Amino acid sequence: MVIRQSPYGSSLARAAVDLSLAMGAFEQHFDLLFMGAGVLQLLPDQDSAGIGLKSIGKVLSSLPLYDVERVYVDADALLRHGINADQLVLPVQALDTLALQELLNSADQLVSC
Amino acid sequence: MLTQSAFDKEGFLRDLDAWSPAVAEQLAAAEGISLSAAHWEILYLLRDYYQRYDASPAMRPLVKYCARELGPEKGKSLYLLSLFPGSPARIGCKIAGLPKPENCL
Amino acid sequence: MIYTLLVLSSPTSGHGARTAYRFAQAALARGHDIERIFFLDEGTTAGSQAAVYPQDEESRLQPWIELATHHGVELVLCISSALKRGILDAGEAERYEKPAATAHPAFVISGLGQLIDASAKADRLMTFAR
Repeated sequence: MVIRQSPYGSSLARAAVDLSLAMGAFEQHFDLLFMGAGVLQLLPDQDSAGIGLKSIGKVLSSLPLYDVERVYVDADALLRHGINADQLVLPVQALDTLALQELLNSADQLVSC
Repeated sequence: MLTQSAFDKEGFLRDLDAWSPAVAEQLAAAEGISLSAAHWEILYLLRDYYQRYDASPAMRPLVKYCARELGPEKGKSLYLLSLFPGSPARIGCKIAGLPKPENCL
Repeated sequence: MIYTLLVLSSPTSGHGARTAYRFAQAALARGHDIERIFFLDEGTTAGSQAAVYPQDEESRLQPWIELATHHGVELVLCISSALKRGILDAGEAERYEKPAATAHPAFVISGLGQLIDASAKADRLMTFAR
């Protein structure tokens, strides 16, 4: 499952998170990968109440309860956005380009939102 | 005691801010449940979950969350089923005054 | 080959939705199977029977109806995406006390489990994005 949308720029961001929760609830074994602007979803302390939306960061932090524990991020995207991998709403593993390609190649199916 | 118009056709509270412990008793009675301390423990846990994660839990995360917060004895689907027969996450959320599930899960 | 299709793209913006039904038509013509087509997010507006498209443009609803009626392809709209866009079947309209059912009967409104189930049964999951 690849998430590429910034958190509040489009409704697809939340739809992708809901799909990840559903996959967890249905006991699917999958890897979750945040790429590009998608890494912005993982920044803590974003207050979405001002724009009348629920917090994506809070929902993401419930993923471990859905047994979604293999969460990866694109290391280049973190660097580009100046984000530190250990200050996010979820424990993640940062992958360089090569590892990222390997991960994508290892999947039977890909959903990219 | 709220009037019938405070609830929708399926018995969910229309205005979530109108929730109070007394309203929970009323919601529970409509489900044929009389609330004990054990029920209240789960109801407040559900409200706490909602505050923390901005979402109502599906069954599996609810069980896991109960296990984490209340210990392994209560973190079992059988225990939750004994309190809220049928579908504990859905009925529990309804009585706890959380939003109607979007039926996605 | 068994395909499951995921449509994220709106029928009124971009080409994803049109590419999706053309892909489905082509796959069926070549003897492949479509397990299910699931519509998520903006994609769900494809199921609206209330949308009016210009007479002199290709219909954006009819190809889906044909896939469902002539080929028995299951078309499923994500319930949470569909509801917030005003796409309701008779049951949901009744449930939420809304005046009309707006989903075309060729489509079914259901949960994300339908996508997960269909991907598990398919050899390939194709996403048609924005």
